[in-house]
Amino acid sequence: MSELLVVRDLETQFKVRAGRLHAVNGVSFSLKQGEMLGVVGESGCGKSVTMMSLIRLLPPSASITNGSVMLEGLDLIKANKQQINAVRGSKIGMIFQDPMTSLNPFVKIGIQLSEGLIYHKRMGKREAYDRCAQYLDLVGISNSRHRLEEYPHQLSGGMRQRVMIAMALVCEPKIVIADEPTTALDVTIQAQIVELVKELREKLNASIIWITHDLSLLAGMADRIMVMYAGCIVEEACLRDLYKDPRHPYTIGLLDSIPRIKNDENLRLKSIPGQPPNLMQKPSSCPFASRCAFKTERCERENPSLAFAPGEIEGSSHKIACWVDTRGRQ
Amino acid sequence: MATERKKNAVGEEMQYSLFKDAMHRLAANKLALAGMIVVFLVILIAIIGPLITPYDFLSQDLDYRNKPPSAQHWFGTDDLGRDVFSRVIYGARTAVIVAFSVTILSYLIGIVLGSLAGYLGGKVDAFVVWLIDVFMSIPSLLLVIVINVSIKPVLVNWMDARFLETQNQFYRNTTWVDFAIVFGSLALIKWPKAARIIRGQILSIKNKNYVLAARAIGVPTSKIIKRYIIPNSIGPFIVSISSTLGESMVLESSFSFLGVGVKPPIPSWGNMISDGLRVWQVYPHILAAPALVLAIVTISFSFLGDGLNDALNPRQWK
Repeated sequence: MSELLVVRDLETQFKVRAGRLHAVNGVSFSLKQGEMLGVVGESGCGKSVTMMSLIRLLPPSASITNGSVMLEGLDLIKANKQQINAVRGSKIGMIFQDPMTSLNPFVKIGIQLSEGLIYHKRMGKREAYDRCAQYLDLVGISNSRHRLEEYPHQLSGGMRQRVMIAMALVCEPKIVIADEPTTALDVTIQAQIVELVKELREKLNASIIWITHDLSLLAGMADRIMVMYAGCIVEEACLRDLYKDPRHPYTIGLLDSIPRIKNDENLRLKSIPGQPPNLMQKPSSCPFASRCAFKTERCERENPSLAFAPGEIEGSSHKIACWVDTRGRQ
Repeated sequence: MATERKKNAVGEEMQYSLFKDAMHRLAANKLALAGMIVVFLVILIAIIGPLITPYDFLSQDLDYRNKPPSAQHWFGTDDLGRDVFSRVIYGARTAVIVAFSVTILSYLIGIVLGSLAGYLGGKVDAFVVWLIDVFMSIPSLLLVIVINVSIKPVLVNWMDARFLETQNQFYRNTTWVDFAIVFGSLALIKWPKAARIIRGQILSIKNKNYVLAARAIGVPTSKIIKRYIIPNSIGPFIVSISSTLGESMVLESSFSFLGVGVKPPIPSWGNMISDGLRVWQVYPHILAAPALVLAIVTISFSFLGDGLNDALNPRQWK
């Protein structure tokens, strides 16, 4: 498994009325072929902005101020408009959060699905439609030929999300970014979509980046998880390590705040006190310091960078951005 | 109806056409269809008017005044013995010319300013919105009267001077000044509405998720404008054009009625209603003919507009 995508020191800022909002502050990570990477964090921590920065799908007020995104020898940050357009869809596919509004209501499903094929693969319409029908079958939509001729409003929410998934996959991208694809769906459909993505990942050997704020959702499927806070990665570990041995105080807090069904002691649900920091200034101290139970004097002076967790041997993948060794102190 | 459309869809040709579907929908709506037929009829009559009018709209027959409808004069004659039917047809000409000119003029201004505001945003947007607010806050009747009393005499005097200077017959006929003033002042009233609709459409569709989703699969900008922004904004746009056409006809008639629009002897439904109103108790047909025609045409435009709105909006399709 070689590195497919390498992101270095990515920084994205938004121009707002009061100045600059530092949404992403030096994010570095890499993605291997066929790997499923989960990205978790609370609302506004920069997960979506980070991933949208990869293919430069940002609103006009946002700009990428630093960093590089290397995909097959091409730096996507420096790529020109044609180059980035050629990457979108064909090498990196996106699945969006809200299937109800992510399909053009005026255009039949088939046209929207085949758009990428016609543009990237220079397919004829008939050929593209054949391929689209195959993919609709693949994502579990029956009567696919017929569905291609329908408008989005004729499909249910779950079916629309399946169409969105088919749309992201139809050009066979190496990387699929799923931005909270199950948030807008109810729980039973959620489970179906999760199963579908797991299945498709094995069939198509694509790498998947799954953005969510639901840690329990990732438990069943991710290989590796990145926890983000205030535009930084605060912990990165393989699935088992993250759940069994969380090291960053924020991750510990997140895991503690998941409600358990077997809560015999009838305890109150734990939560992390305080509010996430204001990102109008680039954090100069640890952004989590004000909410952290393990805070030391150093935490308020310097912002820790992502490094191997204490006690981990070189080559292990468990990294945290914390000055404190939290082992045995929970 | 619905089954028929599905049959077409599954059939051999998989051609996509928003307008084909919309026309099917429109044809199914009886009121809208009736409205459309009346509107096309009025436009047709306006175009071929001189060919079908039995009399000239100016020729007077003073022995035959204020006569009720008969075989020779279908709508009767007015106080100068002019044929009301011919005058109503020429009135349709005036109404159609005014409606189209005003709509084209106001949408030209509206499209330019509205799309500039929508696309560029920021200071341009703030300025255009301010301009729209200013124009919408001026009472329309007041604006038309002010233009009539301030600009029109200047123009007419200038035309007279040009005529004395050049002896060119073109400068003698001030009908065109009348029309230009009506077009201009009505366009000034109507453009803010057009600009607002276009700005709103561009702003809202530009930020829609499906535009983002299309960009995410690498669809180029030109295609996004063609396939996403235009079809999604065309519905309200066409509906508002259709209602502007109807509204300009009514506005022209009401200003002519008040004596600040098209001036007699050029027939306009408005000044005919105004003439008829003085004698309606004795000769009701002089009022009834233009008033009924105006009412029918106005209602037809609004039915057509409603029908178009339903037909062009697939979210309302069942």
